[in-house]
Amino acid sequence: MATDRRRINGPTGGTSAPIYLKTLTKEAEAQTERPTRTRAPNVLRKMFLKTGVTPSASGSAYLELEASKALTSTKSGLASHSISGLKLTCTVHGPRPLPRSAPFSPHVILSTHVKFGPFATRKRRGYLRDASERDLGVHLETALRGVIIGDRWPKSGVEVIITILEGEEDRWWGDDRVAEGLSAGDWGMMSVLSGCITVASAAIADAGIDCVDVVSGGVAAVVRSGQGKQVSTTLVLDPVPSEHQEVLAAAIVAYLPGRDELTDLWVKGDIGHEGRSSGQSATYEELADHAVQAALGSHRVLVAALKETADLKMGRS
Amino acid sequence: MSRHQNLRNLDLDDELDDFDGGEDYEYDGLGDGAEELSEEDQENMRVGTIAVREELPPQASHVTDKQIREALWHYYYDIEKSVGYLVSTYAAKPKAQKKSKAQEVKKIPVDEICSKPFSFADFFKDTPWLNVPIERQAILIPPLCPKGGLLGGSSDGAPKISKLQALAAARKKKALEQKSSNTGIEQPMASLSLDQSASGSSSEKTTTGSSSTTTFGTRAFPIRKRKDSNPHEKVPKAPHDREPDLPPADVQMEMEPIDQAEPSAFANTMFSNASSPPPRRFESFFTLPYMNAATPTSTDPFAGPSPDDVVIAAQAKAAGKGGKGPPKTNGQKKVDQIANGVEALKVDDTPKATSKNLDVLAEFKKSKSKNAANFVVIGHVDAGKSTLMGRLLYDLKVVDQRTIDRYRKEAESMGKSSFALAWVLDQGFEERSRGVTIDIAMNKFETEKTSFTILDAPGHRDFIPNMIAGAAQADFAVLVIDASTGSFESGLKGQTKEHALLVRSMGVQRIIIVVNKLDTVNWSEERFMEIQHQVSSFLTTAGFQAKNIAFIPCSGLLGDNIARRSTEAAASWYTGPTLIEELDNSEPIARALDKPLRLTIGDIFRGGVQNPLSISGRIEAGSLQTGDALLAQPAGQKCFIKGLEIDSEPVDWAIAGQNVTVHLSGIEEQYLKIGDVLSSPSSPIQNIKQFTAKVLAFEFLTPMQVDVHRGRLHAPGTIKEIVAVLDKGTGTAVGGKKKPRIVKPGQVVRVVVELDVVVPLEAPARVVLRSNGETVAAGLLE
Repeated sequence: MATDRRRINGPTGGTSAPIYLKTLTKEAEAQTERPTRTRAPNVLRKMFLKTGVTPSASGSAYLELEASKALTSTKSGLASHSISGLKLTCTVHGPRPLPRSAPFSPHVILSTHVKFGPFATRKRRGYLRDASERDLGVHLETALRGVIIGDRWPKSGVEVIITILEGEEDRWWGDDRVAEGLSAGDWGMMSVLSGCITVASAAIADAGIDCVDVVSGGVAAVVRSGQGKQVSTTLVLDPVPSEHQEVLAAAIVAYLPGRDELTDLWVKGDIGHEGRSSGQSATYEELADHAVQAALGSHRVLVAALKETADLKMGRS
Repeated sequence: MSRHQNLRNLDLDDELDDFDGGEDYEYDGLGDGAEELSEEDQENMRVGTIAVREELPPQASHVTDKQIREALWHYYYDIEKSVGYLVSTYAAKPKAQKKSKAQEVKKIPVDEICSKPFSFADFFKDTPWLNVPIERQAILIPPLCPKGGLLGGSSDGAPKISKLQALAAARKKKALEQKSSNTGIEQPMASLSLDQSASGSSSEKTTTGSSSTTTFGTRAFPIRKRKDSNPHEKVPKAPHDREPDLPPADVQMEMEPIDQAEPSAFANTMFSNASSPPPRRFESFFTLPYMNAATPTSTDPFAGPSPDDVVIAAQAKAAGKGGKGPPKTNGQKKVDQIANGVEALKVDDTPKATSKNLDVLAEFKKSKSKNAANFVVIGHVDAGKSTLMGRLLYDLKVVDQRTIDRYRKEAESMGKSSFALAWVLDQGFEERSRGVTIDIAMNKFETEKTSFTILDAPGHRDFIPNMIAGAAQADFAVLVIDASTGSFESGLKGQTKEHALLVRSMGVQRIIIVVNKLDTVNWSEERFMEIQHQVSSFLTTAGFQAKNIAFIPCSGLLGDNIARRSTEAAASWYTGPTLIEELDNSEPIARALDKPLRLTIGDIFRGGVQNPLSISGRIEAGSLQTGDALLAQPAGQKCFIKGLEIDSEPVDWAIAGQNVTVHLSGIEEQYLKIGDVLSSPSSPIQNIKQFTAKVLAFEFLTPMQVDVHRGRLHAPGTIKEIVAVLDKGTGTAVGGKKKPRIVKPGQVVRVVVELDVVVPLEAPARVVLRSNGETVAAGLLE
């Protein structure tokens, strides 16, 4: 329990309306509320990306992934329940000179801050950065450091600040009570990180900082679906954790298409060994390959968005 | 000055040919102006004037020759510019037709303009009246309209460029210009310049495009071969696979369609311009809660038990469970703990270690260090506690003669010569000027057998919380009593009594009573016996066992019976041990070494540049070593041990009972405060808001506001409920009254205390309840 001792905080989780499990499980129709994946396994969610949204920053970008649609449009529940989209904004400040007190650095010093808005997820976040947000920041820094040509900016620093306006949920809201005891898995973090990488890349390009390539993030996951004995695992791109019963493993990559390089790779979870012999289950290599495919998809959107901005600036549109 | 003369002597025309500045020219031009024109200049001027006169439109024909000459001089015979200047200053604006002329003229090299007169007639010679060829027409560029949206948006213009960036861009541009003007011979040099990475990367890119295998061949990293069969047909191939001869723009076109989404309602509001059509309504996005009948609710909402009923039932069940079974008495628990501790010392119970992977317990056994003991010095204000300890340290040569002499001198200058010894421990300015101890002072000394830590507690009633903090760290207590007439009596009513009760309730078993200042009553044995009688009867009722009480007559100021035997004839009646001997008699205390780590923060400070955040405190249970992860409660933050110090000596590990300084990393100061508990993340201490405690009442207890003290930790709370009055001996509930409203002093009761904030507490912890600056109860958490 991270306590924020500088502000007077409201009660934690005070905004989500209570849902009683008993009434939920009884009703058969309640189960149909569970969102399911309507896209094919290899199709990414559509992405909206725009650069230059913050006038005061050197570079900025806004990214949004479309919300998964409710299965039956007539039976929509609470608005906050049915949607899981992703909305990120990123600002880049710099390169600017380091403070005098800082020791000499021959490279640019990259610092990344990732912060969930207090309202970004169903469970309210605090105002201070917690461990998971710091973790995201470290991953993002790793992903970006390999791209920026740091030695062109000695004695200077670049700050990348990402605010998550709407985060990915770790599971379907209906499972919140059931899975309280289980480890949450933090699957939403993977999609968020992938989005962070893409949006930060766009903002860095907008700031005009020299890079070897435009990096983009992509996620792939092995999910388990089906009921009873007909349980099958599938490999999907760009997973939405709330749409799947169980996510077994997920991989996120930061990929440079121009050089065919990865700057960050994070694999989480256990694929399991039962399907290995039959050749049905995926390997970690495949998982990473699929994540690269997802990254390629987001790279195209990224390039298109940058091109649009460039056209606008050159007055070509 | 000589430089100016040099300039004046220069051949102006030669210099001006490659001149590109403004300042020096201005100087020369103003200085020797038009009257000192050379022949060539005069010729130029004459030709120029004629040309300009020809050029001037009719509405500017009134311009004088002098004005023309001046303009020519300033524009250095540039007819075009001079005409522009004259027209703009002396005539109405030229027509739009003029503009197209101007644009064309600009393209003519400068030296041509200078050398021969230019006429527009030549220029328009081959231009037809109508159907002007397209390359001759002016191109009108409409200004960029701002796209709208928030605050004008930086996307419309160039992003804000910092000074540093602007400088770099300028340099880069310059370098590019130089390079373009360079000949082939200079090329190798250019490729060595700063700009090499840019050109290098571009060339690299082309090689990547044309023959990717060669690039990969030179790389050091092993590259996994990409599979040709792409499982996702919808995803097109990577750009590096593309055909080399395709221009990049075409590739972009080819890669359509792109999975680009329409902006959501939110994004629309943020970024759309005013002219865009109003965003369509997203019905599924903005449904009102509880408006839809399809929300999962059961048909009959009152069929089952209401949520409140469920909670009440659960609470009732929990209460029934909690009330069962009498708790173990204090003594039993102690015995169990000791037994466990001894077993743990034998069995190799390795604690989880991370960095150096030390087996701390084994290390501890190997180290064969002396027994360590902490004792707290308590007593009424001005009983001479600090002076006694100062004397002890002085006699044991922990403090040298010189320091004492210095203190003596300073104390005399402040008119408090008798306080010199107390200043060994009272370091603070306020403590010295007021002559009272305010906070716990710590010091160390060693005898042959044991190394002791003194915790000198403040005696003043205002600083009882500090005394509690000190007593919580102590293994035994030294109670100092002022033997002088009147002082003893007032002390027994005051803090002598309160302190003794407090240390007992903090779990201190052994107490040494030092009857101080006996020199003021001439070492009267009678007085000593009187004090001994009264105090021992009081201490026995307070719960100390007779064998754990020892009395020593001494004089702190003079040092009799402290480290040395008294040489006073009047004190010869005493043959017992001195204070040091008595301290040495203390048995080693068994520590909870194998328990999970608990460390209460006693102080937070900046331990220097290397260690921005350090804490000190006593390890209550368990052990720790450098590199261990810790959990700080109640903040719930994880942190790591960067370094450990015991007595300003860096060490690798520390065990229960030791006072350590821990340098922390991975945590910010705002998460820590004095009284917080560091515990091992594997078995963390829990934050609680309510607890049940068995307490001994010192004052009347009612359900009231209290401060809960545990060591350094204190938190406000309320006695919510007085559950039962307990029998002092057996600990069972007595009395027909089930829930007493009020408790008399001296009774043992079980109370439920609710805290205002969550604090890290766990049984068995000893807590003290205070109210309005007085200790009202003390006891044990259950």
